Amino acid sequence: MPKVSADKLEPGMRLARSVTRGRLLLIAKGTELTEEYIEKIRAMGISAVYIWGPSHPAIPKEEALAQLDRRFRFVGNRPYMDLLKEVVREHIENLYD
Amino acid sequence: MINISIRDLRRRVEGIIGLPTIPSTLRQISRVIGDPSISLKEIGEFISNDPALTSKVLKIVNSAAYGFPGRISSVSHATVLLGLNVIKGLLIGVSVFELMQNTMCGLWEHSLGCAVASRLIAKKKGLEGYEDVYVAGLLHDIGKLVLILEFPKEYEQAMEEAEIKGITIFEAEEEHFVTNHAVIGSWLAEKWLFPYNMIEVIRYHHKPYLSKSASIETAIVHLSDILLRAEGLGFAGDPFVPVVSPVAFEALHLSKMDLREILEEMRDSMEIKEELFLS
Repeated sequence: MPKVSADKLEPGMRLARSVTRGRLLLIAKGTELTEEYIEKIRAMGISAVYIWGPSHPAIPKEEALAQLDRRFRFVGNRPYMDLLKEVVREHIENLYD
Repeated sequence: MINISIRDLRRRVEGIIGLPTIPSTLRQISRVIGDPSISLKEIGEFISNDPALTSKVLKIVNSAAYGFPGRISSVSHATVLLGLNVIKGLLIGVSVFELMQNTMCGLWEHSLGCAVASRLIAKKKGLEGYEDVYVAGLLHDIGKLVLILEFPKEYEQAMEEAEIKGITIFEAEEEHFVTNHAVIGSWLAEKWLFPYNMIEVIRYHHKPYLSKSASIETAIVHLSDILLRAEGLGFAGDPFVPVVSPVAFEALHLSKMDLREILEEMRDSMEIKEELFLS
């Protein structure tokens, strides 16, 4: 779920998190952005909002997972490190789905 | 191993922030926050007199990654809401950005991600002082910056050695210097009159089992640091994940779902760098 800065918003993007000010709901999660909404977001001085969709990782999945293995090369068998590695692996894989 | 006593090293570390090679804003900030008689109001005025600093402080507290409910529109509002120690920490944090970019690219992202993750874990654990934990996370590696600035050649060697031997930069530092970045960072935190708990978190973030008065806070920053390296976000001096302290990990008692949420927030936090400095 990428965060997109207000000046890069385009009509048709869908909000992944509600836009709020304090406890006040301004635009609800799931709303499809129109020119009017984008104008409103910019006018309120909100710098960025969360948009549905993949975060576009910079490297291919296989490379990301190979790097993960390299980072854990010396510690994979230590207590709890296998658990941490598994959670991170799942998280990285999700970025590509 | 460099040939210097720990006393002399400490003197050099404490002196370095006053040197002309350090940007003047950071020098001034260091002087202001190291002054025991300074009031919150005076710090607020100091920030307000510098438009660039004002904008950076307001952007960081209003960023989604900081997660403060509601918009903080002025420095005086921020100082009242966040208090002296958090404001001091944010000032140091935003003003070392360029230095970090120029000395160890990726260290600032590492620091920011650690701050965001630490704050989230602290909130999950119901700690009242979660803002202080954020600051401790933001400044936990400031000792690395000082070591590189003061001993660039030796630090480069330590980094190379870490990569070749497959050890962490923390271990390589202990072989090359009489101490490590965590201890050095704690000296600076003391000089800047941060509260004792914060100093202890910075000092023991690699050895959380040694912390007496802030063991949970230290465990939090310790784990956040490891999670960032595990996820491969930012750069902290070596390409390896350090081993988690089982005692610290058990004390935090986080579920897999908690961990996933923390990883998610960490990744999101990487994007505020652009918000903060490129606009």
